[in-house]
Amino acid sequence: MQPQIILLKEGTESSQGKSQLISNINACQAIADCVRTTLGPRGSDKLIVNNNGNATISNDGATIMKMLDVVHPAARTLVDIAKSQDAEVGDGTTSVVLLAGELLRQVKPYIEEGVHSQVTIKAYRKATNLCIEKINEIAVTIGKTNEAEYRASLEKCAATAMSSKLIHGQKDFFKKMVVDAVLMLDTLLPLDMIGIKKVPGGGLEDTLLVQGVAFKKTFSYAGFEMQPKSYDNPKIALLNIELELKAERDNAEVRVANVAEYQKIVDAEWGILYDKLDKIHQSGAKIVLSKLPIGDVATQYFSDRDMFCAGRVPEEDLKRTIKACGGSVLTTVGDLKDSTMGTCERFEEKQIGSDRFNFFTGCPHAKTCTVVLRGGAEQFMDETERSLHDAIMIVRRAMKNDAIVAGGGAIEMELSKYLRDVSRTIAGKEQLLIGAYAKALEVIPRQLCDNAGFDSTNILNKLRQKHAQGHKWYGVDIMNEDIADNFHECVWEPSLVKINALTAASEAACLILSVDETVKNPKSGGGDMGGMPAGRGRGRPM
Amino acid sequence: MALHVPKAPGFGSMLKEGAKFFSGVEEAVIRNISACKEFAQTVRTVYGPHGMNKMVINHLDKLFVTNDAATIIRELEVEHPAAKIMVLASQMQEQEVGDGTNFVIIFAGALLEAAESLIKTGLNPTDIADGFEKALEKALEILPTLVCHEIKDYRNEEEVTKGLKTSIMSKQFGNEDFLSKLIAKACVSILPEKTTFNVDNVRVCKISGSGLTSSSVVQGMVFKRLVEGSVSKKEKAKIAVYTCPVDTVQTETKGTVLIKTAQELKDFSKGEESLVENEIKALKEAGVDVIVAGGKVGELCLHFINKYEMMAVRLNSKFDVRRIAKTTGATALPRLTVPTPEEMGYCDLVYTDEIGDTMVVVFRNESKESRVSTVILRGATEYLLDDVERAVDDGINTFKCITRDGRFVPGAAATEIELARQIAKHADTCPGLEQYAIKKFAQALEVFPRTLAENTGVKPNEVLSRLYAAHEEGKKSEGFDIEGEGLNFKDAVTAGFLDLFVTKHWALKYATNAACTIIRVDQIIMAKRAGGPQARPAGPQDADED
Repeated sequence: MQPQIILLKEGTESSQGKSQLISNINACQAIADCVRTTLGPRGSDKLIVNNNGNATISNDGATIMKMLDVVHPAARTLVDIAKSQDAEVGDGTTSVVLLAGELLRQVKPYIEEGVHSQVTIKAYRKATNLCIEKINEIAVTIGKTNEAEYRASLEKCAATAMSSKLIHGQKDFFKKMVVDAVLMLDTLLPLDMIGIKKVPGGGLEDTLLVQGVAFKKTFSYAGFEMQPKSYDNPKIALLNIELELKAERDNAEVRVANVAEYQKIVDAEWGILYDKLDKIHQSGAKIVLSKLPIGDVATQYFSDRDMFCAGRVPEEDLKRTIKACGGSVLTTVGDLKDSTMGTCERFEEKQIGSDRFNFFTGCPHAKTCTVVLRGGAEQFMDETERSLHDAIMIVRRAMKNDAIVAGGGAIEMELSKYLRDVSRTIAGKEQLLIGAYAKALEVIPRQLCDNAGFDSTNILNKLRQKHAQGHKWYGVDIMNEDIADNFHECVWEPSLVKINALTAASEAACLILSVDETVKNPKSGGGDMGGMPAGRGRGRPM
Repeated sequence: MALHVPKAPGFGSMLKEGAKFFSGVEEAVIRNISACKEFAQTVRTVYGPHGMNKMVINHLDKLFVTNDAATIIRELEVEHPAAKIMVLASQMQEQEVGDGTNFVIIFAGALLEAAESLIKTGLNPTDIADGFEKALEKALEILPTLVCHEIKDYRNEEEVTKGLKTSIMSKQFGNEDFLSKLIAKACVSILPEKTTFNVDNVRVCKISGSGLTSSSVVQGMVFKRLVEGSVSKKEKAKIAVYTCPVDTVQTETKGTVLIKTAQELKDFSKGEESLVENEIKALKEAGVDVIVAGGKVGELCLHFINKYEMMAVRLNSKFDVRRIAKTTGATALPRLTVPTPEEMGYCDLVYTDEIGDTMVVVFRNESKESRVSTVILRGATEYLLDDVERAVDDGINTFKCITRDGRFVPGAAATEIELARQIAKHADTCPGLEQYAIKKFAQALEVFPRTLAENTGVKPNEVLSRLYAAHEEGKKSEGFDIEGEGLNFKDAVTAGFLDLFVTKHWALKYATNAACTIIRVDQIIMAKRAGGPQARPAGPQDADED
């Protein structure tokens, strides 16, 4: 018996060599296959049920990837790039996963034939740089000079982003809303200043954009009914004070000698509360919003004095109210004065669906807005919210970087053609590999056709012909099962989306290609003790 | 589980039950060597620019994708005692130089492989170890004569970039030009006038999204946090740094405020409010614009900070607080007191920014006094970012070495071949048995061009013979060119492949020491592991490893 040499810890798994690389590529392809059918206007949605039994219906690549809970180490990189695309641009998450998967698929035969993976990595990096240069070269800049034109082009970008989503039927309705919403923000375009509130019931067209703040009526105490529900030009006090009878400090103790003194203490506590309320009243505020609860004493006090109050307002809503109406959150009533209070033209409480909402409109600062989303099923509204988020992000990007390209597979075909031309001029293995990259780019128009049920080979042939003749903006025309000049058809996307997608996809592909060995240490801790069934959804198929 | 071999009568029985005991050349030395060989083999494929990455999943289920040998061996959890010695040697290298860890392991492995064949021919392990040490002496003697380049002015960004390139190349092939420029910029800009360069002063901030080429260097610090208050931008700001939370002071001992009358109760909270307001007001009057707190910023304090239009930033890490104090030149105060003008720091610009969708707070200092710079790395995946961060770390360490010793030797395996050639010649002049060992030492050095060639997919033997031929002709810096198609050779110095002299110096030393230590072992006695009953009867558990 040859004594076995234990070099690594017992239970360590390791796999290496070409077969391991191929297996990683296969794993990534499996992931890419999972989301490929969701691409494009005719893409299908996925229904995912998580381990709590909650169903999610989505068409958004990043959402699907996040829900999948992928454990394979190589495939996890794909989830990562989807997330990174989501973070950087907010849209194009499906395309980035698809591209990375296809880049790996195209290189697989070369790896099997024994091409060194470093050579492929180098070629892919080169191809990516060529693509980015080309995009920058042909991208069209939106003119900011003409207000109406600028707006129209932003709307087109929003429409393109939405056309692949569940709400594409209503894109004309939503594109205006999205652009309105983004244009309302200040220069930094902070995303959290666009609030999206979901109210079940009604149709999608009932969705409304509030130029200001709206939030759901908070929990209220007796006396709330008597309060007036609408004001014109009210002053708004924003507080972080609990308006309720309570001990002032935890670490204070009261010791009294006689009954009379005891009564005084009780009176003093009431006194403190009434003192606060008086101050608020004297400041002239008509609306009192607080992060902390407003008790029934205070509620009744306010309703007696023709004031409105809402306690336990979520912090983000309060922040947006500040942005819209001005003022600041106060922790003490001592500072209540006009400069610390906000104002708006109109406040009212309105019924939407089965909920009551507080509306603040006509705000002087108006650097925020709220979309009140209506719709049938809850999943449907969730998906609409995600789609709107994507569209909003696209418009933000289009505003920050004003170069755009044509979508619908047009830019991919143009890049593919360009790379093919360049590859002809290179001697050696790189020629084939850059050719492979060019071929991988075609996956986007191909998948668009496949998802719509068209003959992809036929359409791709037509596209190649058009691009060879120099019509650089020709892409798939989903409506007519044909090809069309997508720049004229107004299928536009910010060029940044494409640049980021290409960089991310090729970085991920290169990362996976550069791995030749996987070593997995046994998990420490109680997780893998003997009797435990392997799995719990955490098994790692290798 | 070990092979049954006759033991010294009674020795095994003297030990506690469960102890393992190996001795003799066959059982101890050869076994150790083959374990180390196997280990070196694992990291061999990651050597050089064309080296491959490894995916390592550690015991906490964290995934690493890297070709940094130091990281791989740290996460591998090596069990074998002899292999552990090699790990230690490479860790020494990491601490001393910060780069070249791979070199140590591969070379030690190659030496041991050479020793194995010598032992099999009948040489005494001690003779071999002596021979190796003599060869090392000779090698260290030759090494200074090979120095081909020296960076004298390490404030010159361009020169430094050149020196960093080779080190980065082996980690992030294809991005080396961009990264080395970035690192050189970050390092040179903060180089102190008198004291030595501190590695800790170059920070890395990883933000996923976009591509690597959008990475940048910021003079000052970047934190992935949001400001606490409503002020988000301050120019030419005076900064007060506190290590404590900015809040009302609480007593350590459990104290209770005793209230006797109603009036006292009424005044209680009013008093507290005005106390806090006075404190914050005093800060404002002292001219403070930005408050950096090491802990929570209390709501009441925040209210007044907002009121007086100051900016508040909360940092969770004590180290971050210390660094910010250093960057801005502030004295960190342990209590919420008003800082004197000397204790206040200064910063040209403090602002929040959005990178990708991550909000960051940036403390920017354009002036010369800035002592901390931050490299903002962008990349598509977390793993890629981690790997680039390691490359940047290596680059910064290389820069540190440049500031100490700016000498360079030719890279691309030219130095190793030249050493091998000269040592082999020297061996012939040595009498005695160590001659064999010295020759083997020279042979072991050949492992580097061999590995480079193997990783590139070229025939190693042909590379070797061509390199020897070139060096024999006196082209001392002729090295293997991995970039060309097939067999290609280049002059390493003109092509700009430069390795740090100190890296090579220490790596040779550590590797030889480790190899000699392992060869000299002739007995292994492993006591039974302490601890309760094993959960898995299959093998030793990891109780004392973590």
